[in-house]
Amino acid sequence: MSHSIISVSNLSKFYGDFKALDSVSFTVDKGWVYGYLGPNGAGKTTTIRTLLGLLRPDEGEVQIASINPHKDPVQALRIVGYAPELPNLQTFFSAEEMLDFMGKMFGLSSQARKERVTQLLVLVGLKEQGKKKIGNYSKGMVQRLSVALALINDPLVLIMDEPTIGMDPEATVHFRDLFLELSKKGRTIFISSHLLDEVQRICTHVGMINRGKIVLSGPLAQVLEAFTQQWVIEAELKEATPEIVSVLRNLEYVQDVKVEGNKLRIELKEKKDFRGEISSEIFKHKGVLLGLNLHKITLEDAYLQALRGGQQG
Amino acid sequence: MSAFRRAAVIAGYEWRRALAKKKVLALVILAVLFETLPFILLSGVAPAFITEEVKVTMWVFGALSGQSLFIQLVAMIIAGGSMAEEYEQGTADIMLSKPIKKVEYLAGKFLGGFLLLAFVEAIMVVLGIIFAFAFFGPQRDLLFVPLVFLAIFYSTLVFFSLAFMFGEVFRRSTLSILATFGILIVSSIASTFLSLLYQQSLMGGAPNQFYLDASRWFPTWSATSFPSLLISDLIKWQQNPFLFVTGTGNPLQFRTSGDVQLAAIMIGVYSLVFILIAAVRVVKSDVTKKVA
Repeated sequence: MSHSIISVSNLSKFYGDFKALDSVSFTVDKGWVYGYLGPNGAGKTTTIRTLLGLLRPDEGEVQIASINPHKDPVQALRIVGYAPELPNLQTFFSAEEMLDFMGKMFGLSSQARKERVTQLLVLVGLKEQGKKKIGNYSKGMVQRLSVALALINDPLVLIMDEPTIGMDPEATVHFRDLFLELSKKGRTIFISSHLLDEVQRICTHVGMINRGKIVLSGPLAQVLEAFTQQWVIEAELKEATPEIVSVLRNLEYVQDVKVEGNKLRIELKEKKDFRGEISSEIFKHKGVLLGLNLHKITLEDAYLQALRGGQQG
Repeated sequence: MSAFRRAAVIAGYEWRRALAKKKVLALVILAVLFETLPFILLSGVAPAFITEEVKVTMWVFGALSGQSLFIQLVAMIIAGGSMAEEYEQGTADIMLSKPIKKVEYLAGKFLGGFLLLAFVEAIMVVLGIIFAFAFFGPQRDLLFVPLVFLAIFYSTLVFFSLAFMFGEVFRRSTLSILATFGILIVSSIASTFLSLLYQQSLMGGAPNQFYLDASRWFPTWSATSFPSLLISDLIKWQQNPFLFVTGTGNPLQFRTSGDVQLAAIMIGVYSLVFILIAAVRVVKSDVTKKVA
């Protein structure tokens, strides 16, 4: 437990009779980019708010760098940066003032705040609007500022709840690159997101919560592997003749071949890439190959399977 | 960073937040009007009614005239929204996810709001003195000005703390202000009614001390009477005919020797209880999300 930057142990949280979190446990080690997934109302934000000391656990414990934020928020949260989902910021501040104020809350000196504010406004693309009141910002600008605010203390742990929601595609790519860069610098990132493609691109580890319970957790590659029941090769031919289909069906490593027009779905017995062998067989029998893809499972496939089956990864 | 410094950062923020709201600026403007109009009326309508002895201490009237109701209302508005508005606007999440203890946050909010109230009070006291000079000529006993200011400052603690507590308990600013205002009115009526019962028992020849004691247990008595009681001890001001506007009825009507001390203790006890309830609530409960 003490080696983890974030540790959640048997965490339960009730809202009246409703059990929002049911014995949730997971750990996040230093340098991980942890994607926390789940449908709406699954308990993602409740977990994050408990981690930050905003919600009191009914059972279990949370720790950040081995410190319980409910017992010692000053020590636990000084290394944390937090970007909430749809942040409600103080609209009377300008971005510069808001960043400066947050710098004060982390005890940064006047000089350090000045430098950091300028640096962060450039980083999130708000330099030109730095003096504008936050009340006049668009949703996307508020989201950018929220990420900047989370970075004011150069945190070791960055906790983000749907950080790119409301951002345009260009900004989404920019921030994804930024998170990857922070990860390379050894920062630990805990990111809750609905954008599975985004999570798959940047996360090293994933956890999935559904109805308050963790249904899947582990390194991304292992999770995908665990959910890959069968490897499939999709082949597109000029003409899928019965002869080619029959030859392919009789190959020892092929489970079955399904035909859909000129497209073949070749289900394999082993989790191995047989594209070379299959293309040879097709050429040998005068087939004209237009395309050949090994269909690997995506995080979205695993996510949907986990939701249906509640499989533990 | 020390706990005091963290609370001071929040206090500074509270000032900034309150001043950004137009209603606080409106209150300052109202304070100016509240000070100006009575002097204009008194100097124009009833100059013959005011004796020379009263004229030279009219600054006290100026300083105390807003104390019984106006400054209590200002206290409610500032304190009622201090904690509650952060929950209503969802900004409490941002503040309390930073390295600060909830108690430090609460202390900073309380301190910032109370100092802002002191600023409004200071404006009223200074204006009271200026207008007293302008309308009634030279004033005496001005060395008591700081003490008068501190007495007013201290007396506002009761309803400031009450509104602050309701703000944290209900987490709704309007409800907190209304609840505090309701208590002020009910307490004021009950206290006055009990004073009248005491007066009647006195006139009947069998004074019932319970009525008088009970009238002083209500928060309005100490909150509105303390400055008047203290000043009357200092400058023998019993003769001023306008004293009735500075307290619940006339605070000096049935005064006894220990009234100043009793009022001071009651202000302290009431305020402490309200602040403690707010502290327990903030420490022991979840930070609620933005009100939809």
